[in-house]
Amino acid sequence: MAAKAAPPQVRSLTCPNCGGAIELRGMAHTLNAVCVQCLSIIDTKSETLQIVQKFKAKERIQPLIPLGTRGKLHGDPYEVIGFQVRTITVDGTDYSWHEYLLFNPYKGFRYLSFYSGHWNDIKPLKGLPVITESGGRKAVNWLNTTYKHFQNATARTTYVMGEFPYQVRVGDEAAVDDYIAPPYMLSSETIPGEVTWSLGEYKTGADIWKAFNLPGSPPPAVGAYANEPSPHTGSAAKWFSIAVALWTLTFVLLVATALFSSNEKIFSTLYTYSENTPGEHSFVTPIFEVKGRPSNVEIELGTNLHQNWAYFNMALINEQTGQAWDFGREVSYYSGSDWSEGSASDTVRVPSVPAGRYYLRIEPEMDDHPTDFYTTGPRNVTYSVTIRRDVPTYWPFVIAFLLIPVPAIIAVIRSWAFEHVRWQESDYATTSGDSGDDDE
Amino acid sequence: MTKQLLYIIYGLALATGAGVYNYRGMSMASMNELRNVPKSIRDNPGAYRSHYGYRPRYFGGK
Repeated sequence: MAAKAAPPQVRSLTCPNCGGAIELRGMAHTLNAVCVQCLSIIDTKSETLQIVQKFKAKERIQPLIPLGTRGKLHGDPYEVIGFQVRTITVDGTDYSWHEYLLFNPYKGFRYLSFYSGHWNDIKPLKGLPVITESGGRKAVNWLNTTYKHFQNATARTTYVMGEFPYQVRVGDEAAVDDYIAPPYMLSSETIPGEVTWSLGEYKTGADIWKAFNLPGSPPPAVGAYANEPSPHTGSAAKWFSIAVALWTLTFVLLVATALFSSNEKIFSTLYTYSENTPGEHSFVTPIFEVKGRPSNVEIELGTNLHQNWAYFNMALINEQTGQAWDFGREVSYYSGSDWSEGSASDTVRVPSVPAGRYYLRIEPEMDDHPTDFYTTGPRNVTYSVTIRRDVPTYWPFVIAFLLIPVPAIIAVIRSWAFEHVRWQESDYATTSGDSGDDDE
Repeated sequence: MTKQLLYIIYGLALATGAGVYNYRGMSMASMNELRNVPKSIRDNPGAYRSHYGYRPRYFGGK
C-alpha cells in the first residue's frame, strides 16, 4: 500500500530589502516572489536574491482567497501561491480583475480569475487553436468547438503578491484576445516573441467558495460575463419547437372535438307570444330526451323582434329527478338608418347535463306599456326554440392557441436580452438589437 | 431544461383543459342549479318562481 503523500513543504527566504520573511510554496518552479512588506519583487533563482522591481501601490489589495489557501478543483488539491491584479483601460476607464495562481506539485499550475463576482477556472493550453471565422467575425476552433472573438485589449499588471513560475513585473503589458463559447473562454496573451493560450471555464462564486471552503459568502455577480452561461436555458428554436408541438396537440384536440361532438338536435319548435294575451304566460315544452354522457345543452332562441325586446325566463327541468337549471335571456334588436344594436337571437349553454328526460319551462315577457321612444315594434313575438346537446365550444382552444406561445416569447426575449448585455461588453457592442447568438 | 419542462406542462394543461372543457360539457353561462323541483310544475308552470324573473332589464335603443 502506497504511503499518503505529505503536503508540500513551505520554504521561506528573507527579503534582501526589508528583511521580511517570504514564504515559497512553488518549490523549484518559483522564479519571482513578492515581499508583501516592502512590495519588492525578488528573483529567487539568483544567488543574491536580486530585487528586480520595487513597486508602489495606492492600497494593499487583499485577495479574496488568501495566499496559502488550499482547495480542490477537478478532484485535485491546489494551493494559492500567487495573486495579481490586471487592468485594461477602455475609453479612459480602468477595468481590473484578479488572477490567482494555483499550484499542485503533481498537476502543475492553473489559474482562477475574478471580475465583478464572476470566476473562471483557467488552465494553460498545450495545443494551438485554429484561427477561423464565425458569422463574419474572428473566431478560433479548439477540439471541434468554435469560439467567437469577444474582445481585444492590452492588459497590464498593476499589483502582484506571492510567487510566480515566470518573470512578473508591475507594469507588464500583454495583448489579450478573448474568444467565447459559454461556459468556456479561450484567451491568447501576446508579448513580444511569445503567444500563450489558456482555456477558462466559467464558475460561480459559490463553486469557488465550496472548492476552497471559504468562510462567508462570495461577492454577488454583477451583469453578464463574457462566457457566463445564459440562465435562460434553451435556444429560441427549442422554445418555438415546443410551442409548435403544443399548438399541434391543441389543433388535434380541436379537430377531435369538432368530429366527435354529436351536436345533436333534440328539440325544435316555434312559439308565438303576445303581451296582450290575458292569463298565465308561462308554459312547458313537450318532454325531450338527452342521451349519452353528461354534456352541455344549448338552447337557441330565434325571434322576429325589431325595435323591441323580450325577456325569457327559462328552466331546463329533469322530469324524473327534479334537477333544474334556471336562467333568463334577454333578446332585443333595434336599428336605424345607419346603426343597429342587439340581436334578434340568442343562445345559452347549460353545463354538464346528465342523460334523462327533460322539459323546458318558458316564461316570456315583453313591455306592455312601452315608454321608450325607440320601442315601437309590435307587442308580440314569434320565436323558435332549438335545443342541441354536446355542442362543441371552440373559444377554450382559441385561448389555448393564444396563451401557448406566451412563455416561449418571454423566454426568448429574456434570453436575447441576456445575450445583448453580454455582447455589450465586447468589441462588438451595438446600440441596436444585434445581441449576438443565443446560447444552447 | 426545467423551465422547458414547466412550459410543456403549462401547454399540456391549456390544451387538455380546452379538451376537458368540451368533453365534460362545461359552460360559463350564469345560471342557478336547483334540486327537487316538484313534478307538479309540469302541470302548473305558473307555480314556478324563476330565480331570474325580476332582474333589471336593459330596454335598448339609442
